[in-house]
Order: sequence, then structure tokens, then C-alpha cells
Amino acid sequence: MKTPRGAGVASVPLGWSVRGDQLSERELLLSVSGIGKAYGAHRVLDDVSFELGAGEVLCLVGENGAGKSTLIKILAGAVEPDAGAIAIGGKEYSALNPNESMRLGIATIYQDVELIESLSVANNIFLGDEIVGRIPLVIDAESQNEKARQLLDLLHIDIDERMLVEDLSAAQKQNLQIAKAFHQDARVMIMDEPTSSLGEEETRSLMSLVRDLKGRGIGIIYISHYLEEIFEVGDTILILKDGVRVGTYPRAEIGVDEVIRRMVGREASAFFVRERVPVGEVQVQVRDVCWKGGGVSHVDFDVRAGEVFGIGGLVGSGRSELASCIFGMVRRDSGDVAIGGKKLRIRSPADAIRNKICLITEDRKKYALLAPMSVEENIVIVSTELGRNPLLNARRESKLAGDMVDRLRIAVADPRQPIVSLSGGNQQKAVLGRWLLCDATLFILDEPTKGVDVGAKEDIYKLIVELARRGKSVVMISSDMPELLSMSDRIGIMREGRLVKVLENRGITEEDLIHHFIGL
Amino acid sequence: MRERKLKLGNIVGTQWFMLTLVIVVIATVTGLINPRFFRIANIINIFEQISTLGVIASGATILIISGSFDISVGAIVGLAASCMAMLIKADVPLWIVIPSGILIATLCDVFVGYTSIVFRAPSFITSLASVGIFKGIALALTSATLQTIFGQFSFIGSTRVLGVVPLMFIFGVVVYLVVYFILKLTKLGRRVYAVGSNPQAAYLSGINVNASKLVFFVINGILVGIAATMLLSRIGAAGASTGAGIELQAMGAVVIGGTPISGGKGGVLGTFLGVLLMGLISNSLNMLQASPYLQDLATGLLIILAVAVNALSQKRSQIGA
Repeated sequence: MKTPRGAGVASVPLGWSVRGDQLSERELLLSVSGIGKAYGAHRVLDDVSFELGAGEVLCLVGENGAGKSTLIKILAGAVEPDAGAIAIGGKEYSALNPNESMRLGIATIYQDVELIESLSVANNIFLGDEIVGRIPLVIDAESQNEKARQLLDLLHIDIDERMLVEDLSAAQKQNLQIAKAFHQDARVMIMDEPTSSLGEEETRSLMSLVRDLKGRGIGIIYISHYLEEIFEVGDTILILKDGVRVGTYPRAEIGVDEVIRRMVGREASAFFVRERVPVGEVQVQVRDVCWKGGGVSHVDFDVRAGEVFGIGGLVGSGRSELASCIFGMVRRDSGDVAIGGKKLRIRSPADAIRNKICLITEDRKKYALLAPMSVEENIVIVSTELGRNPLLNARRESKLAGDMVDRLRIAVADPRQPIVSLSGGNQQKAVLGRWLLCDATLFILDEPTKGVDVGAKEDIYKLIVELARRGKSVVMISSDMPELLSMSDRIGIMREGRLVKVLENRGITEEDLIHHFIGL
Repeated sequence: MRERKLKLGNIVGTQWFMLTLVIVVIATVTGLINPRFFRIANIINIFEQISTLGVIASGATILIISGSFDISVGAIVGLAASCMAMLIKADVPLWIVIPSGILIATLCDVFVGYTSIVFRAPSFITSLASVGIFKGIALALTSATLQTIFGQFSFIGSTRVLGVVPLMFIFGVVVYLVVYFILKLTKLGRRVYAVGSNPQAAYLSGINVNASKLVFFVINGILVGIAATMLLSRIGAAGASTGAGIELQAMGAVVIGGTPISGGKGGVLGTFLGVLLMGLISNSLNMLQASPYLQDLATGLLIILAVAVNALSQKRSQIGA
């Protein structure tokens, strides 16, 4: 596949100053300029530009929600940008669709999707352009296997081409996807957190595969939370923050601390200044929670009355899984929860609710919204379920829901309208309202402000403080570091399923948190 | 002023308004062509004909709103009716026969629901499998013969309250009211909607989803048992294929009534209108001396039409939102 240096590419000046003279020697594969994307009023990407040359490893770093995923989805053709252009193969595109993206040589390596489990390795590689032998329409398995073997050998990938994909490990599947992309003449490979489920050995072999591909002139966009990897394999580092490009830096010109600082660097005004309320005695005790299936091991912590206990960590560190253990959503292997010194028997969410524990889940649509039902029905569902009366009391329900709508300032024309007609922030408030009605003692909030606009965010923060003032215990799981730092009394750090540290929230910074999250 | 217009538009857009309109139009047209349509006897006849279907469709409404299906209903009717007919032939008193029939139907439905819950299989599949099981049992019990009990158990089918209103119709209306009461006014009804909307969210709201589902199947089973009793009394005979296909008619009526197959919303008022419309069309075609083959065709087209109206109104509301 040819990759011309079209005029459209040359007209994009970005990154010039950084890479300077290297660029003139290097073939340019991909140039993205001024890309923007907004969901409603929420801007996830704003004027992002970068270039990728042949044999370059461009590392994309940023906090959760910085816009990395959206950016790669745009390149893969899954999301249509509102602004900007993508120049590739000498042509400019305002948006790609998945077919175009593939045809233009962009391959995205996802975790084990996109492979057909019931077919062999060779069949997966040649899926869609099977080698047909002398008999029409019949696949020539022998020559496919042979070609697959050559391809795998070329890339030093140690997999038997006759194996079924379902028998491969996660790392092997990933390697297979890379080999397949290589076979399809992909010039740009996007790897999104490729090592998140790999062990040390597998990570090392992936690193060498990346270097190998680089030597073959393939451009790689590499996304990882693990900064060590980035410094090992990357050529350039593109830092994104809140959807905006902070800068593009050659690896040699920037250090780990500098990257962290720029990833999180924020104006003080982004912080919500919460009111402090007196913190009482220990009210909730969580002891030795283990759940192998969810990767949670031996978690202990206490939460006092009136305290907001923040839990931070990388995505996949087991925070939500811990919450689902405490709430009885899953069958944990061990662990006890006590409130007010009394050990509770929690084997289902219903048990948890009866024992005054509530959980506001991260995935609102999947776990909280009763989609075709009204705002009112959504708000009263738990309270009605807790009541002893087998009959509904329509007047009581509409009063409870109406009061909650007023109290939380939920923007709704009529509480009987479907909940899905509300904005994300108002939906979240309605879900919070559902739990406020049942007067719990322990509130577990998992990403309480995810997908919520700024105004609603502040209302939710005030509500959390209000809960603390009333002597409730709040556990707040959050990926939003300013949120953790501004709301929490103490912050627990989770890493690989363990609660590795509990910090008093005094004088700690986002950089400190990141260091703890990563474990550097 | 604008708001009032909008509200009027909302009412016009609702499924039950459209249904009522269609019902009135069909009735008027048929009546104009054939005035016998408007005779009391014919109207009573329509209501009598749709009573059994109405009872079954009420149960199906609960199941469909809660996200479950039971397509073995026809087979359950056949099994329960056959058993009752055999008991009656053996001179077992009616006060034992009727509860036994209802119990059999309930156990069958519990089987469908329980297997679906325990094996985490869609109830569509377990009920599909159950069709064969129930039908097979009924065939074995009756040795594949029709169990006739003419004149021994006809009082439900033939009684006219005050000389006009068929007892069957009263049964049907009572079932509609009970199901309406359950769905709209009880905690159980709220669970029907919650489980059908989002079972995971319902579970996390403290609802025992599996137990609730089983209860829905029990209710459906009781209603199917009642329907089997009504049908047996009206026909005076039963075999394994009695009631065959009634489940599809019932689901059709539910869909025509505006309850989406995806669950979470809908109600029994729509189902009543859907059943009425199906009965009306079949009666009108008779009155117009149309070929009986046209009835199935008309019912099929009606269901497609209802789905289309539903889809179009949903699209409109999405654009509106």
C-alpha cells in the first residue's frame, strides 16, 4: 500500500515545531487536525491535532475522561467528529466510517473482540479474503495454514496456526489481532490499553512486537495508563487533558513527573470547595472482602459517621467490584460488613437495602434506570419496595416524588414523563433521589458525577455534604481526581484489587494520587 | 393554548384512541352493509366469543410487560381441559374438577417459569419446549381421543345473567378488572413493570426478580386454567389440541393493544381493545359473508399494522425529545 504525502497533509502545521527536522525524512502516515466532538453540551474533544509518521510510536496519555477513547473511536470510524479533518493516504476526510478506516489501513487492536472464537488462528487471519484452491468456493486450508505460519514466524509470534481462537490466552489473541492487521496491510495500528490484562512476561513480548512493527514502518498509536511502558516504547507522547491537547513531546525531552504534572495540571477553580462537617465515630466496618471472580482481595476499611471516604484507583483496579461485594450484588468469597458494630448478613441487594446500605452504580443506564417507566416511578421504586403495604399509595408516591423533584431541583415538566426523556444530570439526580427516600446509613456512590453537566455536578456535591452533615457514611468511588480531593475526608487507593493505602486528605495533590494509583 | 393543543395531540396519538376509532369505524361499516350486525344477539355473541381469549390475553399482558413469554398456553389449555373432561366423565363433582383444572394449568406454568429461571433460559424457549411436553401428556392421557361431556358441564357457557349478559363475558370482565387492579394499584404490579423495564436495576432496587417472575407465571397459570374451564364448558368436549394457537392470538391482541414485546410498559385496557378488535373483525367478516380464510389474513395484517403504528409513534416521540 502506498502512502503518499498529499498536499492536504503538508498544510497542517501542527507538531512541526516539536519534531522539526525528523519529519522531513519520515513518511507521514496520518495527520489529524482540529478534531472536535461534543455530546450535547458536554465537549469531549476540542481542537485536537497530531501527526503520525511511519515507524513512529505515538503514545496517548491522559486521565480517565480526557478524550483518548473518543479520539481513537473517531479514527476507527465508530464516532463521527463535529469538527476537524483526518488526512490519510493523500486525502482529507471529515469523518470515517469503520469500512473506510479499515480500507485506509487503520487497525484498532481491541481486547479479544473481533476474532471468531470457533475458527482456527489461520482462518481468523484470512477471514474475509480466504485463499480458495482449485475447487471454487472451497477454502484451501493447507496453503492458508502455511501462509499463516509464515506470517506468524515473520512477526516472531509463537502460536500454532491450527489452534482454535477460543483456546488462546488473552495475550495470544492480542498478538493474533496484530498479525491479522499486519496481514491486512494496516499501516496505522491503534492499541488501547494493550497490556491491561497481560502479565509481566507477556507485556515484555508485546513490547518487542511493537518494536518489530515499528521497524517495518508501521505507525502505532499506543494508549496506556502504565507510564513505564510508554517511556520504554514510545517516540512521542501526546498528552490530552479534558479533551484538549496539552502538548506533543519527544520522549527524550520529557520525564515521568513532567508527564504526570501535565496530565493532571489544572486550575484551582476546577475544585469544588466543600463545607466541612464534623466527623463522628466509626459507623461502618468493612472487613476482609474477597471476591476472586472480580479480582478483589482482602479489603478492610472503616467509615465514620459524617465522613466521605473517597476511593481512587485506575480503571480496572477493582473499585466497582468492591462496591458490588458490599452491596450483595455478587457472591463474594469472604468478607463482613458491620454498621454500628452489628455484623450484617448481606446476600442480595435486598438484604443490603434492608440493612440501610445503598449503592448508586456507575453505569446508570445498565443498572439503575427503569427505562420505559416514569420519573416518579423511578424515584419511589425502592421506597415502595421497602414498604409493607401490598397496595400502592398513589398520593403518597406522587408527594414523595414531587418533593424529591423540588429538593434536588430535577428539571422535569411532569414527574410522570419517562425518565429517559431527562438529561444525564437530571437522570442521575432522580436515581440519587430514589436512594435518599430510603434513609440509608451507608451510601456507596460509584462515579456519582459521571456524564453529568457542571451545574448538576455541584448540586450532587452539595447533596453528598448534606448526607455527611446528617451523620451518614459516604463511600465515594471516583476517577475524577479533583472530585476525590475536594470531597473526601480520607482517600483509599485501590490497586489490582487491593486497598493498598488510605491517605488523610491533607495537602495531597493529584500527582501524589497518580503515583499511588500506578504504584511508582 | 399551545399546551392544550399538544395534549389533544397526545390523546389522538395514543394507541387506545386509535383502536377505539378503528373499532367504531369497522362496526359502523359492517352495520351499514348488514344491519343484522347491530342486533343484540350478535353483539352478545361477539362478547361471548372473545371472553376466553380475553382471559388468556390478560395473563399474557402481565407476562409480556414483565419481559417473559409463554407460548405453551394453548397446550396447557388442551391438557387442563382434557383432564377436567376426563374427571367429569368419571363423575367427579365439579367443585373438585374446576380447582383441579386450574391447579394443573398453574403447575404447568410454574414449570415453564421455573425452568426458565433456574436454567437462565429465555421463557420463550422453555415454553416452546413445554408445548411438546404438555401436548404429549394430554395425548397420552386421552389416548388421543376427544373427551366429550355434552350437557354435563355447560352452565358456564350457556348461562345468561338477567337473561342477556353471558356469564362468560362477566368472567372476562372480572379478569380484566383484576389484572388492571394488580398492574396499576399493587406493589406486585409495580414489580411487573420494573422487572420488565430493567431486571438488573430492579434487582439492585431490592426486588427479588426470580421470585417475582415465578409469581407472574403463577398468575398466568391461574388465568389459563380459568380460560380452559370456560372453553370446556362452552364447547362441551376437549382434546389435546383444544386451545391450540390461542397463545398467538392472545399475544397478537396484547401487541395490538400497544404493549410492546420488549416489556416494561403497556396495560390491560389496550389488551381489552385488541381482543375486542380481533373478535369484531372475525364477526364482521362473517357478517359480510367473506371467506373464512380471510380471518387469519386480517388478524395478521392487523398485528403488522399495530406494530407499524407503534414504531411510527415511537419515532415521532424520539424526534420530539
